[in-house]
Amino acid sequence: MNFLSNYFYFFCLGVLLLVVGCSGEESTSASKEGVSSFPEKPVTLIVPSAAGGGTDATARALADATEDHLGESIGVENKEGGSGAIGMTQGANATPDGYTVSMVFVELTMLNHLGMSELTSDQFKPLGLVNLDPAALTVSADAPYDTVEEFIKYAEEHPGEVKVGNAGTGSIWHIAAESLAKETGIKLNHVPFEGAAPAVTSLMGGHVDAVTVSPAEVLPQVEAGDLKTLGVMSKDRSNIMEDVPTFEEEGVDVTPVGTWRGLVVPKDTPDEVAGKLEDAFLKGAEEEEFTEFMKNNGLGLEIKSSDEFQQFMNKESEFYGEIISDLDLGSNE
Amino acid sequence: MLFEGLMNAMQWQVILMIIIGSVIGISIGSLPGLTAVMGVALILPVTFGMDPVAGILLLVGVYFGAVYGGSLTAILINTPGTPSSAATAIDGFALTKKGYAHKALTISTLSSTIGGILSVIVLIIIAPQMASFALKFSAPESFALAVFGLSIISSIAGKTLIKGLIAGALGLMVATIGLDPIAGFARFTGGNENLINGIDLVPVMIGLFAASEAFTSIGDLFSAKRAKVVIEKTKLKWEEFRMLILTILRSAGIGTFIGMIPGAGGDITAFVAYNEAKRFSKDKRQFGEGDLKGIAAPEAANNSVTGGAMIPLLTLGIPGDAVTAVLLGALMVQGIQPGPMLFETNGSIVYTLFVGMLIANMIILLFGLMGIRLFTKILLIPKSVLMPIILVLCTVGAFAINNNFFDVIVMLIAGIIGYFMKRYEFPVSPVILGFILGPMLESNFSRSLVLSQGDYSIFFTRPITLVLLSLAFLTLFAPLLKRKVIKLKEDYI
Repeated sequence: MNFLSNYFYFFCLGVLLLVVGCSGEESTSASKEGVSSFPEKPVTLIVPSAAGGGTDATARALADATEDHLGESIGVENKEGGSGAIGMTQGANATPDGYTVSMVFVELTMLNHLGMSELTSDQFKPLGLVNLDPAALTVSADAPYDTVEEFIKYAEEHPGEVKVGNAGTGSIWHIAAESLAKETGIKLNHVPFEGAAPAVTSLMGGHVDAVTVSPAEVLPQVEAGDLKTLGVMSKDRSNIMEDVPTFEEEGVDVTPVGTWRGLVVPKDTPDEVAGKLEDAFLKGAEEEEFTEFMKNNGLGLEIKSSDEFQQFMNKESEFYGEIISDLDLGSNE
Repeated sequence: MLFEGLMNAMQWQVILMIIIGSVIGISIGSLPGLTAVMGVALILPVTFGMDPVAGILLLVGVYFGAVYGGSLTAILINTPGTPSSAATAIDGFALTKKGYAHKALTISTLSSTIGGILSVIVLIIIAPQMASFALKFSAPESFALAVFGLSIISSIAGKTLIKGLIAGALGLMVATIGLDPIAGFARFTGGNENLINGIDLVPVMIGLFAASEAFTSIGDLFSAKRAKVVIEKTKLKWEEFRMLILTILRSAGIGTFIGMIPGAGGDITAFVAYNEAKRFSKDKRQFGEGDLKGIAAPEAANNSVTGGAMIPLLTLGIPGDAVTAVLLGALMVQGIQPGPMLFETNGSIVYTLFVGMLIANMIILLFGLMGIRLFTKILLIPKSVLMPIILVLCTVGAFAINNNFFDVIVMLIAGIIGYFMKRYEFPVSPVILGFILGPMLESNFSRSLVLSQGDYSIFFTRPITLVLLSLAFLTLFAPLLKRKVIKLKEDYI
């Protein structure tokens, strides 16, 4: 008995030493000296949306494909809520040592115009863009409308009754539904959820009548025949739903709205470190396992380098600034 | 199909992965601060290079093991390893203090594995039907479930209901810190950027349970009041176990059901099962003082969440909680797209997973029962040695959640608050309950009103919502009404 309790005592002591040892190693590598030897420890990738949505899946696949090029593991951390403001603000405020990378999406260029956050794209140093996806109008398979036109006609006859689920107030899918309503003159009831996945779940349960999320986020349910996509809000058809027409083809003229996903680090991250990360992530984005993943999951692969991404974000920010003030969403208090 | 799955799962590599996963899971779960989600996320990268079945089952082993492991330390040292085990600590630690640690752990192990196995069986047999029921849960239903969850404070409040309610209100208030879940505005952050994301549950839980326990023990060391450690070797009798069977079955049902509802997890479930065990028990006095049902119920329930959570994941492609979200990522990386088509496109893999889940539960049963003698040895460690170790683990655990020192401060403040709460006999579990349910309550309340365009009738015209809200009302006021009735009777006599 005495022997056993001694044994356990030493076992605990061992665990303790191990724990202390590990934490010690972490604190030394966090010091600023290690710029040239970056990276020396695992990198965290903050995903500002609920696990299970398109952004989360993309981040996990990209992290997986990038690890070999970076030489360190990349841990994905979900920080959902506030249309992504929670996670992105945390990403912007992270220590600028390159060990915290954030995945950002189109909302980054919208939140400030919406008056929902102080956050702007200027608080980040872009690494690169990897994906672009349009909004798609998806409804329950047994809904009484089969085309975009019929949907609009139904909404005209039932003003304010059609419930459209979105990924959070001021999210891109909310803007998509708002701009659809504004440009066609219909009235919709917009219901915010904490991300696209819960909105789709709610549509499956019949609690909302439609969602305006990307094709990838509804594809498994559409293939199973539970949901149907009426149209995509882009210039070209989606490559995963080739038989679904664009709004323009249906004779409904709306501004193309869609989401994109890119990677950023805090503004003050040293250029050398950011350059290493850009290299690794863009190489990862070209890996076959990542492009296969994007194809299998119906996500639009679109790669832009750090500079191109910066210009693209500037343009988007200007564009959404106009739409949001047009739609009078900026007064959202 | 099931037979094919059995053949595929019965390979030594697969079994070995499940064993490794379960052992890692039990260790991770029992350390405060390392939750099932973190465990699965930590092991995830290892599985990418593996065969899909072996990789996913390794993660399943970690998941199941961690849910079980969290209760070991809850029972032995009043330190729930994961939020799911917070309810177990109430009666589990009470039994340990009486010297029945051995019996408590036996019940925990048996209830956990029975609950786990039952939920997997439900998953195998009626997953698609269950999933369509889970879809009926919309915002008003989730709101009602959260209200019902809060009403449970009345059964875990301990000696005085008022103190329990104060503790619950404290939890709810702390949960409002951070960005508004619907509109995205920062609240009560005082400009501190660490508070923008709200306060994390895990540091609060570690502080309230573990650190406060350590502080109390340190106080005891300096006073003459030193508790004598007793470990009775009494084994669980068949008679006693037979009394628990109904509770275990009921709790497993509750666990599987709540597990499949999107947005509700093991933490809420364990409290609900505890509450129901108390409601159906004839003798309620022992609850909180070390009732065997008080362990069997939350343990069967939090482990049966594992099978329940798999239902919407595999049949709809929708993750119901954080762990299944990580598993969804793991499946997609392996090229398996969960969803309505999964059973047709990857049928043999699905049934292999099912068999693997059953094996994982068996392995936990085996390791759990074998390990009980070893686990109880932790009680023989002198408090003067054990408590500093616990404090170190608390600090490391709180830091590990977000690699943020702010969380360590939160843990210490929670520990100090917990110390005074224990000293003045305020129960700490209601704080955790309020903290977990606050955000769920708030966002679903707002969303319901958006859905109904401001019409409050949405809360009492839907059957599930109405039933849950009535249950909540009953749970909260039944003890008061009963007291009135007894008093009236006495007056008449």
